[in-house]
Amino acid sequence: MYKKKDLSIDFLGIHLDSPFVLSAAPPTDELEIAYNGLKAGWAGVILKTTSVDGNPVNLKYPMMSSFGPMHKKVVGLGNIDLISAYHIDEVERRVKALKEAFPNKMIAASIMGATKEQWQTLVWRLKKAGADLIECSFSCPQGSMGEEPGKMLAQSVEATEKVTRWVKEAAGDTPVLIKITPQVTDIVEVAKAVKRGGADGITASNTVPSLLGIDIKTFEPYPNVFGKGAYSGLSGPAIKPLTLRTISEIAKNVDIVISGNGGAFNWRDAVEFMAVGASNVQFCTLPMHYGFRTIRDLKDGLAHYLMDMGFNSPMDIVGKALPNIESQEELPSPITRAEINEDKCIGCGLCYAACSDGGHLAIEWDSNKRRPHVNEDKCVGCAMCMQVCPIDAIRMKEKIDGQLHYFVEER
Amino acid sequence: MEEIEKTLTKEQALIEAERCLYCYDAPCEKACPAHVPIPEFIQSIRSGDLKGGREIIEEAHPLIESCGRICPEESFCQSACTRAQIDSPIKIRELHRYITDHTDPAENLDLLPADKGKIAIIGGGPAGLACARELRRMGYEPVVFEKKQLGGVPAQEISPTRFPREIEQKEVKFLHQYFITDVKDGKVKSLSEIKGDYKAIFIATGLINELDLDIPGTDLNGVHHAREILRKVKAGNNSGLGKRIGVIGGGNVAVEVASVLMLEDPKRDVEVIYRRGLKELKAFKKEIEEAIDVGVTFQFLAIPKEIKGENGKVSGIVVTRAHLGEPDESGRRHPEPIPNSDFFIPLSDVVIAIGQKASDFFPEVEKDRKGLIKVNDDMMTSVKGVFAGGDIVRGASTVVESVADGKKAAKAIVKFLEGGE
Repeated sequence: MYKKKDLSIDFLGIHLDSPFVLSAAPPTDELEIAYNGLKAGWAGVILKTTSVDGNPVNLKYPMMSSFGPMHKKVVGLGNIDLISAYHIDEVERRVKALKEAFPNKMIAASIMGATKEQWQTLVWRLKKAGADLIECSFSCPQGSMGEEPGKMLAQSVEATEKVTRWVKEAAGDTPVLIKITPQVTDIVEVAKAVKRGGADGITASNTVPSLLGIDIKTFEPYPNVFGKGAYSGLSGPAIKPLTLRTISEIAKNVDIVISGNGGAFNWRDAVEFMAVGASNVQFCTLPMHYGFRTIRDLKDGLAHYLMDMGFNSPMDIVGKALPNIESQEELPSPITRAEINEDKCIGCGLCYAACSDGGHLAIEWDSNKRRPHVNEDKCVGCAMCMQVCPIDAIRMKEKIDGQLHYFVEER
Repeated sequence: MEEIEKTLTKEQALIEAERCLYCYDAPCEKACPAHVPIPEFIQSIRSGDLKGGREIIEEAHPLIESCGRICPEESFCQSACTRAQIDSPIKIRELHRYITDHTDPAENLDLLPADKGKIAIIGGGPAGLACARELRRMGYEPVVFEKKQLGGVPAQEISPTRFPREIEQKEVKFLHQYFITDVKDGKVKSLSEIKGDYKAIFIATGLINELDLDIPGTDLNGVHHAREILRKVKAGNNSGLGKRIGVIGGGNVAVEVASVLMLEDPKRDVEVIYRRGLKELKAFKKEIEEAIDVGVTFQFLAIPKEIKGENGKVSGIVVTRAHLGEPDESGRRHPEPIPNSDFFIPLSDVVIAIGQKASDFFPEVEKDRKGLIKVNDDMMTSVKGVFAGGDIVRGASTVVESVADGKKAAKAIVKFLEGGE
């Protein structure tokens, strides 16, 4: 019933009715599923990565595994999936069908090739089929199909620039996104190579190479494929902080449009991605876990946020946090102390335990009243106590020349 | 009769364990009379080391099978749970039971040699068993005097629907096998009957006698005592009672016997007849809920006046309607009879469950006016070297309080014999 802001944005010349699109992954690998996603209200789809003949896709099942707290809860989702098993002929048909059914949604395709001819053929065919945008996977951590076996394309600055140039040459005025991996020595160098190669934007970033777990009785890894396992691509909430860093480093150093991807699980995460420089946000693990219905919370949450903050468009958020991100040595040096809200405190004593054994012995414990007390002479303001407080009763009071500032973590 | 409460599933246990804040200086542990390190055993559920969990509980609490099932957690650990300030307290007893249900007691224990001398323990209930185990662990030879069977009230009287026989036997068997040097069959009524070379004595007889109702008609056929009935049923026999039973009383025993009789024959009517109201009922919440669940009904504000009979057999009870006045010395509002409000409840049987009283055994030691044995801070009676604990000191209490007494007494006995702390 609340009045809502218009969430639509212009993304590389494409109209998106919200910044939320489905990334190149299982939710976009079947025509019917992609159709359902768009019908549910997602602003666009990037169809699962396709390739050309000569690149057989040999999927292994099971392919998914996860980790989280002891009861079943996905904090990190891992997969040993590969690109789509569907041939480019089929993907072409799907682009056409979806574009026809949803003329106002973004229908994009993702590609992966080996040679110049392959990359360019894929681009030409999808462009002709009517794809609004082409995303190039330079970063699938599983089953490398790059120039150097065992290595992701985006791990080579030279190859990234070269292949980007081939793709953009074939794409012409169709926008091109290059999807990179966070697993590089210098993300800025890779982003610069993408820019030099002429791409319109960068998707930051793909899943993170990982090993999800080991069965400690059989010593077989997860996912367990008949006793054996391989490294997985990690997605989900666990990688959100990694993606935030990746997006912000690129945004601070390279003038290029960014599509945020990797770890956003709700509208707040999406706002954070945009605040550090993403123009839109891709989702995969969230709808894979809870279904396409999750779009409602994303859109409503963002709309209410825009209203509350007095913003007119989601684009007003983009890059808002960037001026505040600095290197550690450039940071101010306030005098910081922990401040415990005694009325809110429930007396669990976790701050005392944390400060005693992992801090500065700066919290005293009244065992009778069950209340902690900060010894300001010993407290250095590290904020470890604040991290363990189960009810956010602790904030950090920072002072410079009589000016006060507080560190609280909004959740 | 099957056990009513089910053990938690792994998922339930993990989700519940994860709710625990793992408090420092944990208030639950302090509120537990046996001081079970609760956050530590919950951590072992989280990490999946249930054997570790059993060790942690066992170290503090010798009767761990009983307490996972019948401890009134809301009166102890749970009442102090910090988590309650966020949403609701942790289901501590259920997590405790999850551990005991999924682990077996250890075998081939590595104990100190038993060579420090014999200690006589009068009564094989929770206090006696706890004291015996602690003494044996410190190298003494506990000899338990028990007329009935080891295990005390939980073993003999608590409904098998709450504490199944096989579980109780598993617990007692383990304690007997490893921690008790000898069990002597016999009712000991005075210190002079204890012959032999004992270095100290621990009296833990519990409360043996039941209180009688002081109204006409208690001599009729069909008037029973609650604990008698409970013992009969726990031993696997039929109570032999009829179809309309009135249970007089407002405590745990009344609620327990009512549930047991209802479960024995779901076609009968079992009514708890109580002078005060639901709020004043002095029974544990879980037991009241279970009683209501199985179909027990309650007649509140009803003061028993006379048990009526035909041909020497109970036919019903006359009660007077009460209204609640000012709080009395128990802190609960006092029932006052309303004039001309008598009414008749037809019954086949009357079960009296108004409490227990101490026996006149052990005349050698000093007692209070209720006949309970007086002890000092070290659990020692007026007779040097004679200690006492459990219900015979506290009055009717819980298993865990008796266990705490037994543990404390064992320490005090060792201190008395060896000196030091």
